[in-house]
Amino acid sequence: MTPDEVIETIKSQFGDAVKASEVKGVEARIDIHPEKNYEILMALKGIGLDYLNCLSAVDRIASGELEVVYNLSSLSLPTKALVRARVPREDPIIRSVASLWGTADWHEREAFDMMGIRFDGHPDLRRILLSEDWVGFPLRKDYQDERLVPYEPV
Amino acid sequence: MNSHEHETESAERTQETMEEMYVNMGPQHPSTHGVLRLLLKLDGEVVTEVIPYIGYLHRCHEKIGENRIYTQIIPYTDRLDYLASMYNNWGFVLTVERHLGIAVPERAEYMRVILGELQRIASHLIWLGTFGLDLGNFTIFLYCFREREKILDLFESVCGQRLNYAFYRIGGMPLDLPDSFVADCKAFLEWFKPRLPEYDAVMTDNIIFQKRVQGLGILDPKTAINYAISGPVLRGSGIKWDLRRNDPYSIYDRFEFDIPVGTSGDVWDRYMVRRIEMEESVKIIEQALQGLPSGEIIAKMPKKLKPPVGDIYSRVETPRGELGFYIVSDGSEKPYRYKVRSPTFVNLSVLPVIGTGCFVADLVAILGSFDIVLGEVDR
Repeated sequence: MTPDEVIETIKSQFGDAVKASEVKGVEARIDIHPEKNYEILMALKGIGLDYLNCLSAVDRIASGELEVVYNLSSLSLPTKALVRARVPREDPIIRSVASLWGTADWHEREAFDMMGIRFDGHPDLRRILLSEDWVGFPLRKDYQDERLVPYEPV
Repeated sequence: MNSHEHETESAERTQETMEEMYVNMGPQHPSTHGVLRLLLKLDGEVVTEVIPYIGYLHRCHEKIGENRIYTQIIPYTDRLDYLASMYNNWGFVLTVERHLGIAVPERAEYMRVILGELQRIASHLIWLGTFGLDLGNFTIFLYCFREREKILDLFESVCGQRLNYAFYRIGGMPLDLPDSFVADCKAFLEWFKPRLPEYDAVMTDNIIFQKRVQGLGILDPKTAINYAISGPVLRGSGIKWDLRRNDPYSIYDRFEFDIPVGTSGDVWDRYMVRRIEMEESVKIIEQALQGLPSGEIIAKMPKKLKPPVGDIYSRVETPRGELGFYIVSDGSEKPYRYKVRSPTFVNLSVLPVIGTGCFVADLVAILGSFDIVLGEVDR
């Protein structure tokens, strides 16, 4: 299945949920509405993109949103996919895909730890790299640590 | 009280003394290869639950990356997987080069392959030595460190460093190989090849070792794909998947080499995959030394590096699996977002699944067969 066909399939099934799409080399890039992330990713898994390489989050502070990025590929097809969903910064909540891929478990915990995105339906959403009592989400662009003393030249 | 009641009562009493308990393995346990803490729920000697706690070595790698210009990130990538620093450099510079669309000169590509594959051998040697140590075989540990020392000498002759090299540059390589390198490297390979049967004598053909690891910690292919396992662990489960062959980067498509795979996905298979991979790396280095061209070693690069707006995910096959970098650029000198997908972070996440139900001593063998590096897990 080529990247164009991947986009076609997703668009025909979830017309409104797809905001934008483009093809870059062998990669199908799809921007989606966050409400439909689980269904779209399940459909992509169903058409053979069953290897979740990476799940990360980007702080799009200019538009007041957090972006969840899924990198999908396959061990039998050359095609790859990159799926992006944006959630509001004030209430970042998106459905967990840990029931589709076991690997999403730790990736989602890391995204929660660093960006504060809450994954609805995650089996065990705790901080993973930082300690349990950490305050704030360090990879957000506006993160300030009050323990850091500003440097003042003498 | 008749005999039947008596039996029931004693069975209940036994039940009481066999209650489950929690034991911490790590973070300072020698067999966890760093600062990994495993909370084990034990029923006698049997592990009924494994809960890994990571992050003891977290040092804000990604946040630091967002505050550095692209070339400044290279030395930080050394510290990710400190046993395969060359390959981390490569993964990062390749991602930036792909985003910029830079072609690297031929000689630099050959240098990268030679150094990368030497690094793979060095990394597998460390793994083999410490894995043997976990299982009580001290001889193999000394053998492996003896060979690795010679590889580090080669690296020192090339870049002056022995562990953290920071030697790859965006667009090529900073220094040419020293005049004696090709001869030294060939001499090393000739010396190294007869050493491999020595490892077989103390490990592969050792019946105690075979009985210890065969059928242990089985990872089936379906679970492996579900958990996005990569590298020798994935190949041990019988899936012929190597990015050097299946998603080729650099000039790997020019070399002939085999991809060893296992059959049952147990600790033995993962051992054999890495053991054979060392031979395959030797083959690649020999071919690369044969074809090493002369010429430029670095492409023409702008003084200030400002990649265009956009994002890219790119991956390489390190000794431990798929190392991916996801970089978002906003057109400035620094990456807007810099994400590292480290192979052992992902590989370790399957441990609670396959570690459940084995003995504590076997968990040490299973963990050893995963070849984790905590510098990369915690970032």
